[in-house]
Amino acid sequence: MSPVIRILARRFGISLIVLVGVSMLIFAIARIIPGDPARIALGPNATAEQVAAIRAEMHLDEGILAQYGYFVRDVLRGDLGTSLYTNRPVTFDIRQFLPATLELVILAGILMVGIGLPLGILAARYRGRWPDHLIRVLTLLTVSAPSFVWAVILMLIFAFYLPLFPVAGRLSDSYDITRVTGFLTVDTILAGNWGAFVDALHHLILPSVALALSGIGQAARLTRANMVETYDKPYIEMAQAYGFFPSRIARSYAFKPSLIPSLTIIGLDFAAMLGNAFLVEAVFAWPGLSRYGVAVILRKDLNAIMGTVLVIALTFIVVNIVVDLLIAFLNPRIRHSTRGAAS
Amino acid sequence: MTALLDIRDLRLGFRTLAGQIDVLHGIDLAIRAGEQVALVGESGSGKSVTARIILGLLQETRSARVSGRVGFDGRDVMMMSPKERAALRGIEMSMIFQDPTSSLNPTFTIERQFAEVMRRPDRKLTRAACRERAARMLDEVSIPDTGRVLDAYPFQLSGGMNQRVMIAMALANNPKLLLADEPGTALDVSVQAQTLDLMRDLVTRHGTSVLFISHNMGVVREFADRIYVIYRGRIVEEGPTPAVFADPGHAYTRALLKAVPRITGRGLPDVPEVSDDFFDPMVRHGGTS
Ligand SMILES: Nc1ncnc2c1ncn2[C@@H]1O[C@H](COP(=O)(O)OP(=O)(O)OP(=O)(O)O)[C@@H](O)[C@H]1O
Ligand SMILES: [Mg+2]
Repeated sequence: MSPVIRILARRFGISLIVLVGVSMLIFAIARIIPGDPARIALGPNATAEQVAAIRAEMHLDEGILAQYGYFVRDVLRGDLGTSLYTNRPVTFDIRQFLPATLELVILAGILMVGIGLPLGILAARYRGRWPDHLIRVLTLLTVSAPSFVWAVILMLIFAFYLPLFPVAGRLSDSYDITRVTGFLTVDTILAGNWGAFVDALHHLILPSVALALSGIGQAARLTRANMVETYDKPYIEMAQAYGFFPSRIARSYAFKPSLIPSLTIIGLDFAAMLGNAFLVEAVFAWPGLSRYGVAVILRKDLNAIMGTVLVIALTFIVVNIVVDLLIAFLNPRIRHSTRGAAS
Repeated sequence: MTALLDIRDLRLGFRTLAGQIDVLHGIDLAIRAGEQVALVGESGSGKSVTARIILGLLQETRSARVSGRVGFDGRDVMMMSPKERAALRGIEMSMIFQDPTSSLNPTFTIERQFAEVMRRPDRKLTRAACRERAARMLDEVSIPDTGRVLDAYPFQLSGGMNQRVMIAMALANNPKLLLADEPGTALDVSVQAQTLDLMRDLVTRHGTSVLFISHNMGVVREFADRIYVIYRGRIVEEGPTPAVFADPGHAYTRALLKAVPRITGRGLPDVPEVSDDFFDPMVRHGGTS
């Protein structure tokens, strides 16, 4: 198993560099945008002394390197500072808003893989015939509009004209659920409140479908393309010559080897949903981290900006590591990257 | 004496946008039980498509039009349903390919690939039984460290090793007919010769009939009891190997034979593209079929 550990170690090293780089970049950019954060936070009526006090507390009058030093020291202590927008610790805000976003993104990811891959397999297996044509047209449609456009379209059709789904929010007001994980679908089950669980899921469907649609299309098209290429490989002909069932050939001989090149891109698509969630959350009034992120950027809330960016960067990194592990699991060439002695 | 494989007037055309392209123009070919027969011809002459028709694969390709009779073990493959044809493949007949390494599934261990093949006739075969039988088959193709090979992936083995694995796999279910489409042409000449010897021994021992496809008269001489020479979708000469070599009756066969010294196992024989006498009527060396 040592090649896998080597890959992980390298990935962790690179991730650390990326994380430090991103934090420096955003730290600098956030401070370059014009506007005094203390003044924006306190409003036009605050006195000069009040503004000066905040500036001193946030070390805003010192050099940028010194400021970064304070930031790193605090981060290592698990302290991201206080948000000037909510007046609460940034870590508290993140704990508050991140689960809503993750819930959305994770369900969208499940839809992307759970629907996109089977569609791609189906299209490749019936390549050149009607199921293939149908799937290609449908997926072209889904990838041709960004997720916030789908959010608006789905909302208009399925929440407005046909009021099948709620228009906004995560849960109906009639339910009061104690917060444990922040994931409402989990918390409602923990509370044993079946009605609230169904309600939470009901709220979750439209935004996550909107978020997932282009990913589903992308995953399906990518899977189809890689599989069609694999269908020309000699081991497919060999499998046919041995009389294996076409469905078995599709799964074990065409899909599995072609998933390896697809997986990296599907992982990136999944991580990119975190960014797309910004606009979908805006459309559905979803109280998630993305909405929080937009609000704090507009207010130049330095600590909150840094906190949000770090969390998103960390999520990207975790997704990448998971994808690497999956690839290592699927691809024996990586798992056994030393040539066997049996050769 | 009835033949195991009895092909009569086999014709094949492909429908393309530019109209129909005829590839086989009425082929007759027979293989008796336990007989090793070679089909020799240059690239594009229709050797691989013949094998694909015997396996019943081309009949399911929509652009292909196949007609004629493909008698196998007393039944006509052409008259079978796709299901019946699939039931023959991997059980009654099997095939080995030109490039062993790329013909094995890169994501399965050798053990798993054997299991897939051996579960064709018997789906309930246990893992332990599969492994034991696979090890015995590998033993038969003189692979020393069977345990390690079974646990390996194709990319961890050499081409020659994969070739032996493929031969062992093809014979694992004791098929009546083995189709070998230019086996090992992608390998080293010496490795190729070695594995062909091995294959020859094995099929003789198992009594397996073989259709050995090649463009190399030199390789065929070692291997086959009888030879069919194919030129542009027509059989131009047929006879026992010694007779064909001693007295090649057809101009095309003579051209192929003249090219032999120049082939080193790899590459294609240096035969003139077309010559009028290549279209002369077929030559049969009597007494055999
Ligand atoms: N699916 C197909 N569609 C159209 N034409 C085809 C198809 N498959 C084979 N052919 C044509 O049929 C002819 C015979 O092909 P085949 O593969 O049997 O040649 P071969 O004798 O095996 O040659 P080689 O030594 O190169 O393998 C070729 O001209 C080829 O172009
Ligand atoms: Mg061929």
